[in-house]
Amino acid sequence: MSGGMWAEKYRPQTLDNMWNQTEIVSRLKNFVKERNLPHLLFVGPAGVGKTTSILALARDLYGSAYRSYILELNASDERGIDVIREKVKNFARTAAIASDVPFKILIMDEADSLTSAAQHALRRTMEIYTRTCRFCLIGNYSENIIEPIQSRCSVFRFGPLGESDMKRWIKTIAEKESVKLIEEGVDAIYEAAKGDLRKATNLLQAAAATQGGKVDDIAIYSVLGRVSPGKVRQMINLGLKGEFLEAREVLRTLLIDEGLAAEDIIRMIYSEVLRLGIPERQKVALSDTIGEIDYRLTQGARPEIQLSALVARLALAGEEIDR
Amino acid sequence: MTEDQHWANRFSPKTRLEIAGNERAVGQLRAWIESWERGIPKQRAVFLYGPPGVGKTCSVVALANDLDFDLLEVNASDHRTGRKLDTFIGRSTQQRITITGRRRMILFDELEGVSGQKDRGGISTIASIIKETKIPIILIATSVGERWEEKFRPIVTLSLLIEYHPVPFGELLRRLTAITEELGIDVDEDVMELLADRSQGDLRSTINDLEAITRGRERVTMADCEGLGKRDRKDYTPDALMKMFSAKTLLEARRIISSTHINYDTLFDWIYENLPLVLDDPGDLVEGMDALARADIHQTRGRRSQDYRLLKYMFNDMTGGVALSRRNSKGTGLMAEVRRKVAELGFPPSAFTVTEAPDGIRIRPVRYLKDDWGRVNAVFRSRGAQWVRGGGCWLLPYFRPPQLVWRYRRTWHSRRRRQSIAEAVAKKCHISTKEAVTEVIPLMKVMFQDDPGMVEEISGWLKLEKKETDWLKN
Repeated sequence: MSGGMWAEKYRPQTLDNMWNQTEIVSRLKNFVKERNLPHLLFVGPAGVGKTTSILALARDLYGSAYRSYILELNASDERGIDVIREKVKNFARTAAIASDVPFKILIMDEADSLTSAAQHALRRTMEIYTRTCRFCLIGNYSENIIEPIQSRCSVFRFGPLGESDMKRWIKTIAEKESVKLIEEGVDAIYEAAKGDLRKATNLLQAAAATQGGKVDDIAIYSVLGRVSPGKVRQMINLGLKGEFLEAREVLRTLLIDEGLAAEDIIRMIYSEVLRLGIPERQKVALSDTIGEIDYRLTQGARPEIQLSALVARLALAGEEIDR
Repeated sequence: MTEDQHWANRFSPKTRLEIAGNERAVGQLRAWIESWERGIPKQRAVFLYGPPGVGKTCSVVALANDLDFDLLEVNASDHRTGRKLDTFIGRSTQQRITITGRRRMILFDELEGVSGQKDRGGISTIASIIKETKIPIILIATSVGERWEEKFRPIVTLSLLIEYHPVPFGELLRRLTAITEELGIDVDEDVMELLADRSQGDLRSTINDLEAITRGRERVTMADCEGLGKRDRKDYTPDALMKMFSAKTLLEARRIISSTHINYDTLFDWIYENLPLVLDDPGDLVEGMDALARADIHQTRGRRSQDYRLLKYMFNDMTGGVALSRRNSKGTGLMAEVRRKVAELGFPPSAFTVTEAPDGIRIRPVRYLKDDWGRVNAVFRSRGAQWVRGGGCWLLPYFRPPQLVWRYRRTWHSRRRRQSIAEAVAKKCHISTKEAVTEVIPLMKVMFQDDPGMVEEISGWLKLEKKETDWLKN
């Protein structure tokens, strides 16, 4: 195996290769042994092994031709529940042939982003095709999955990766890729990615690119400064200084040139604002404004207008700090 | 079909599937024509209206083709008096099929050409034909100028109204691309973006422009577009904005809504673009932006609930709300921006004289800029300034057109490229395209910019095209 993104290159291919989530993995192995499984619901934070587990399970179950027995859908990329139903129908109505397992597996990522009406429709689809198809729904929060679906699935809760597990894995990849990774670099990666292994691996790879194979904390911070959160920070600082026009330019870059969703920008703004060196009362006031704007965006308001109003408010906050 | 036909005709749609944009309108029209199979519907005529060049006539012709109707086209301005119309058309509307057994329908095109008192008889004759007809009647008018609909009232009340909208920018580009590919001409992407942008959703004029600049050429670049002529900008919008921003009452500020020719969405963008230049006091700016953000909410609610009464609250906020926020601002925002740009370019403030003129700010270099001119010009131009030939200075208008739409359009190809990369990443990395855009592509850009080795590995792995690889490297 060579080339590509390291996060994929080092993704464990079989359940035996999984080195974390040991409890869950051993239960999944039982399904493989019995050649049968229930509908599955995997919940947990990003980058902890949810998709990896189901792909590994499929490979163990069907062998190397496993790709013909699974269908991967991402709810956030599909246009509406009708499209999803159509795809599910086409995939699920034919039984798995040339396999001793009588069903195929449909993997639905970001299932928790479906509206509850869409989930009810999905539940009916699950019932219709239950004989020939197992569903593996994946999401971050089980609260966002309707009860009737939860009760039809075996729920697996994936915990966040611990600091030492995470660091060990990052070091392993660095070693295999002959990256000279300094301890401060490892700390910086963990600080930025927390328990998200995909994010950590991507960050390591980008930092390795910048420095020709040597990664310390400076390399990590310089990469972070060049990606979206760095630009959001730049926008906030311009806003605080009262450079509204410049800040608006950065906002436009984020929204238009980089194509970030408004909800992601507002999430980044929020976490930056909490870390700012401004009076605590200001943080509360800004948080209140952010909350209002966040709500407006969910109601279909125009992102650039609403976020600009927020940036204008930063100027006022910045002015009050100066006094 | 001959090669020397006008391109706009040569590439006009032959079937419903080829019509660009306006899916909703075409769907409504189709449903109405099909409803005739179940007997004569309540509304015996449809009235199609919208800006020029968006496919009103084309869609009728294409649908007649698809549904196998014999189409009798009447150019309304050819039969100006009621009596002539009645004898010519009246009889045919009583027979449902032609002698060869095909179903028929009638199209009255270019109704806007029927004008003035003398033609009143024409409109009312059409109205009486509609009341009696046994076959579908389609009426088409281009909506231009103010109060254009008034004279059509007698027929509008009898008809199903279907509105056509400007063809979306992406659709225009797709059409242009298809034509250039069919003809085997190499047209630069930024030329196509320019053409699509100029046309404001008028497909016919876009194709005409394309024909004008590409005839006899095999490769077309921006340099070939000089002859296209300046875009028809409504230059009085800045004057109206000037009045609005200096208004002291709500009523005064709100006058801008009816005093400009542009629609209120575009006006909103103009106000948003220029507001920070006028409201240079942070407190005023917060208030003004808040008002604009609330205007946006009122519009969203109005649109969602289909209750257009709510629009007046939008108008109040976006005009009065913004204008009356101006209390401590000195109106020096534009001057300050010029000074900042000069400093950023690495010049001392004394390198340029900056003066206020009635139409904007004049920026005159004190010395010859020589090799620096291009660099300086690029920066000022990006802010909306124009070099005044023979004047030896740049003119930066007090109000600049909205950058938002412009920016979306100018980045269309770039955003498409990002999307196709995101789809490749999403598939390979088992994530959503949204996550690919937010989390992975920014880091990939770092890798592509800094490490040629990774460029090769990753683009091979994702099977990226050269243009996509270049996009990541830029």
